[in-house]
Amino acid sequence: MNVISCASLTKRFGSTVAVDGLDLEVAAGQVYGFLGPNGAGKTTTIRMLLGLITPTEGRIELLGRRLPDPRAVARTGSMIEEPAFYPWLTGRRNLEVAAATGGGRDPAEVGRVLGLAGLTDVAARKVNAYSQGMRQRLGIAAAMLGRPPLLILDEPTNGLDPSGIREIRGLLGDLTADGSTVFLSSHLLAEVEQVCDRVAVVVRGRLVDEGAPATLGAIRRRVKVGVDPADAGAARRLLSRWPVQEMNGEFLVEHDNGRDVNGVLAAGGVIAERVTVEQPRLEDRFLEITTREDAHAVIAES
Amino acid sequence: MLSLLRAELAKLVRPLVWGSGLAISGFCLLITSGGANNARSALASPKIPSVCDASVTAQCRHVIAAAHASARAAALATSSLAQPGEIGHVVAGMLASVPGLLLIVLIAGGHWGGEWGLRTIRQLLSREGRRSRVLTAKWLTIWSAGVATMLCCWLVLLIAAPLIAASVGLPSAHAALWAGLASSVSAIGRAVLVLGLFAAVATAAGTIARGQLATTAITAGAMLLALLLAGIASIGRLSPASFVQAWMNFGASGYLPTNFWSRFVASGQQLGQVAGLTGIAATAVIAALIARWRFAADVSV
Repeated sequence: MNVISCASLTKRFGSTVAVDGLDLEVAAGQVYGFLGPNGAGKTTTIRMLLGLITPTEGRIELLGRRLPDPRAVARTGSMIEEPAFYPWLTGRRNLEVAAATGGGRDPAEVGRVLGLAGLTDVAARKVNAYSQGMRQRLGIAAAMLGRPPLLILDEPTNGLDPSGIREIRGLLGDLTADGSTVFLSSHLLAEVEQVCDRVAVVVRGRLVDEGAPATLGAIRRRVKVGVDPADAGAARRLLSRWPVQEMNGEFLVEHDNGRDVNGVLAAGGVIAERVTVEQPRLEDRFLEITTREDAHAVIAES
Repeated sequence: MLSLLRAELAKLVRPLVWGSGLAISGFCLLITSGGANNARSALASPKIPSVCDASVTAQCRHVIAAAHASARAAALATSSLAQPGEIGHVVAGMLASVPGLLLIVLIAGGHWGGEWGLRTIRQLLSREGRRSRVLTAKWLTIWSAGVATMLCCWLVLLIAAPLIAASVGLPSAHAALWAGLASSVSAIGRAVLVLGLFAAVATAAGTIARGQLATTAITAGAMLLALLLAGIASIGRLSPASFVQAWMNFGASGYLPTNFWSRFVASGQQLGQVAGLTGIAATAVIAALIARWRFAADVSV
């Protein structure tokens, strides 16, 4: 079952197209990464999902309900960009207010999310005395109030130290283990790579790639081969059956199997000094996709 | 809805609201004290024309006697107004006029406009997406803050006003302590409705302004414009300020002012109380429609 389903979702602000015909399907129980460079339309999409702004065109279904439907939005926990609070209230009071706004009545729920976010000790402090990291945790705690089946988090690890980031990573894992779905926008691609089951990349408001983090983009696993300089010519000839680049005296072969590459070299009488398989990181894939899309856009515009 | 109201009321527990309430209560105390002192001074030295200073003519004796009688009557009226039964008129008049408007302006700026300034509006709307409910809750809580302040002022003056009147040496009112209470309660009731109108205008202003200062400015500007219009003979009758004037039936004040409104409304603009009530209701409905229309727009803070 899809908890988020968008079809041809479009948002225009005057002549600017912020989101352009976005189709998105997020299945239940996943941690779904939503990536894109600044200004790609991520936050606009999230605001449309939460009913804060109205799409110009297209359809959104959230938790099986077609928006605009406040009931679907009310069952969604969310944190948009930098979390905002009432600075004259304590952390606990802010959460109580948030819970009451959503109709929550369980007094133990605030204590539970404070504990999960590691804020129990500072819950009685006013929020204006909180650090950026504490505010971020409080935002995540607020999003978790009432055990929502869907969490939409925009940059949840902003301002957190490495141990805080690790805790949030664990928390996201726990949430999906409980059956929640997490829709996550983040610039920390290493984090996204570790926690997300699927990732979508948007550029200039359009969905340009979607899938498991390891399958995104055109970059695949590459085989790095080092040979004796005297064998470089022969190696170049033998490896030409694949796309290949030479870099610092080594060959980067666009193929995912090191054994194949080594076999071809050996059959041709070249002994490889080093054969290593490189797994491209999500960051490499992301940059490849966004650079390619930018280039396409420039060509289209010209 | 009750849960949402509880949340909105919890947000009102803030220095801005306490401070505004204290300021209004302090202002009412100052006005009462100033009015009582002025009445006492006038009683001690009534306004006598200078030609009668050294004259002992019958005409002057008559003028001097009339001045003393007038000052005594004014002092007695002030003393009566300062009694617990009557002081509600002062409180109602203050809160249903410019001081009450300023209170609502300040509270609405922080409580409603501040949701945009602090960017908490997006959290609020992502928890309660029914925007008409949010508007209703904001209006009711701004209104209730105004009413609560009025009740505090009333309580403060119920105790302090008779003490002030006695301490400055005003002649004691002959009426019973609680005489005029029914009339005071009626005035307070009418002021509650006017505060509801101010809150409705402020709620609508918040949806247009989407910021603390701008909400304050637009609410104050709209009502001050209404007061200015009320002073124009040809169109003044159609101004919301004239509706308030008619509904509250503000009259001329003595030494202890009972409103800061009637002096802005052109004489001859007086409508009946029912017309005033109808006008207030119509203005509130227009404010609600504006708020609903404006609040349906995208929230992109």
